[in-house]
Amino acid sequence: MGKTMIEKSIRRAAGREVAIGERVWCNMDLSTARDFGGANCVLQFEEVTDNKGKVWDPDKVAFTFDLQAPSHSEKVSRNQKIIREFAKKQGIKKVFDIKWGIGQHVLLENGLVKPGDVILGTDSHMNLLGAVGAFATGVGNTDIVASWFKGTNWFRVPETMKITVNGDFKKGVCMRDFLTSLVGKLRADGMFFKAVEFYGETIEKASLANRITLCSMVTEMSGKIGLIMPNGEVLDWLVERAGDVVLDRVKELAADKDAVYSDELSFDVSDLEPMLSAPDAPDNVKKVREAAGAHVDQVHIGSCSNGRFEDISAAFEVLKAGNFEIAPHMRAIITPATREVMKKCAEAGFIQKFLEAGVVFTNPTCALCTAEHYGALPADDVGMSTTNRNFIGKVGKGSHTYLASPMTAMATAVRGVVTDPRDLLG
Amino acid sequence: MDKTVLHGKAWVFGDDVDTDLIYHNKYLAETDPKEMPQYSFEYYPGKEHFAKEVKEGDFVVGGTNFGCGSSREHAVYCLKFAGVPVVLAESFARIYYRNAINNGYPVLFVNGLSQAIKDGKIADGDDLEVNLETGEITDVTNGNKFHGDAVADLEKDIMAAGGLVEYLKLQTGH
Repeated sequence: MGKTMIEKSIRRAAGREVAIGERVWCNMDLSTARDFGGANCVLQFEEVTDNKGKVWDPDKVAFTFDLQAPSHSEKVSRNQKIIREFAKKQGIKKVFDIKWGIGQHVLLENGLVKPGDVILGTDSHMNLLGAVGAFATGVGNTDIVASWFKGTNWFRVPETMKITVNGDFKKGVCMRDFLTSLVGKLRADGMFFKAVEFYGETIEKASLANRITLCSMVTEMSGKIGLIMPNGEVLDWLVERAGDVVLDRVKELAADKDAVYSDELSFDVSDLEPMLSAPDAPDNVKKVREAAGAHVDQVHIGSCSNGRFEDISAAFEVLKAGNFEIAPHMRAIITPATREVMKKCAEAGFIQKFLEAGVVFTNPTCALCTAEHYGALPADDVGMSTTNRNFIGKVGKGSHTYLASPMTAMATAVRGVVTDPRDLLG
Repeated sequence: MDKTVLHGKAWVFGDDVDTDLIYHNKYLAETDPKEMPQYSFEYYPGKEHFAKEVKEGDFVVGGTNFGCGSSREHAVYCLKFAGVPVVLAESFARIYYRNAINNGYPVLFVNGLSQAIKDGKIADGDDLEVNLETGEITDVTNGNKFHGDAVADLEKDIMAAGGLVEYLKLQTGH
């Protein structure tokens, strides 16, 4: 019987055959923590080892700072210092401090992620690294601490769902819109504990940025991980960063033709329209047209879902179509995912134009995902963002948020009300 | 008193209770688990008073997908250290489930709880009797009965050890 990608990845990490439903101890390739949760991991590790513990392999531990980078609270500053000092004491060199950007993206850009790698992190969207076929998952501090002992942790071998996507997006429509429609169809628990493999022409042709977007909200459907085996330009990009071993992994870990899936779904995106998640849940999905005209106070483009160069570039094109003017009342914020993305935006001349249009362009960090980030909303304000959750009050008590694509977000910034980007792009 | 039979008041929540509602991201920088209960459910509309009024031994009751969202372990600590002895839900989100097990914190999977909550068959303030050994749950206020399943497989062993760190220490003598 054939095996799926996740079965092969767990088999590789466990060094033995595995069966669906089984609990398996896997060897870690990387065990990471952010400035959120990181200090909790460090303090817990020191406590349970009486300050004498050594992490199993300092080269396989990494820290990324993106909850507050740079920190703007004394508590987070203290937490970041706790991490820096622990890394120094343990000989951990992979500390991506405040200048770098969002953790998963930084690890990816630095060649630390390969297909089949088992990666833990204190970020529930760690699993977006499935966009290059890695088995990454978000966990709490105890899982991280436990993995630092011997470089292992336990997993349940999940069932796999197969999703095939075909067709070309129409102008003004993008992968985020497909993702939103998928969340609307499967709802908050539609992928319960499962892995998902994405196939089809639309996926094969998709850029890395678009693959990241698609895999970034598997968590919002309660999935374990969304996996895409690298091909084409994405494969070339990954080999350049992470080395030729990537090619071996692709061969070894691609799903068998006769792999067994728990569910198989097919979609065609040819007639898809711009979609959004209305307040106050990601699966409260509507067409942008259905919400058009609703007042919005603030727009935020960025995050681990849609903070890459292609995303900002798409927003730029919409701003251009709107004559580089945003609505007078609008507070518009763009936060690139990483320093590399920000440099590309500068080289392309985007930043100058955004600033002239009155858009706030920030340093690379997480976007408005918590009330502690730039642009927290006051009660009764309505935001639109390209982040991945909009539960009530998430970015400010009493506030509400629409989730949408970078194009829809920028069209909304231009008009000041929820706007279908096709109204500007023609 | 037999420790496996617990009595307490129910605090009832709906489906898809996400971690921001249980423990808001505003307080993520907190590193001391004992400081976390003061923030429990502060952002849950209509349950803002939970942290002040919850009594040791009270139960948290939810529908499907309890604890979805963030990886924050704060969302387990804030209930554990408030003295909530067990969370009863129809199902738990993946990371929340792991975080509970890893802390030796009991959760019970209760069939039909989501609909029972919607139908008012178990409501805020009801007195509950929960038998951790048999999984039998009685709403003493109205006589309704439910059945909860405890964790099985490896998770059961981790629970028995008191959590993942304790389990590994037993296994490896680390």
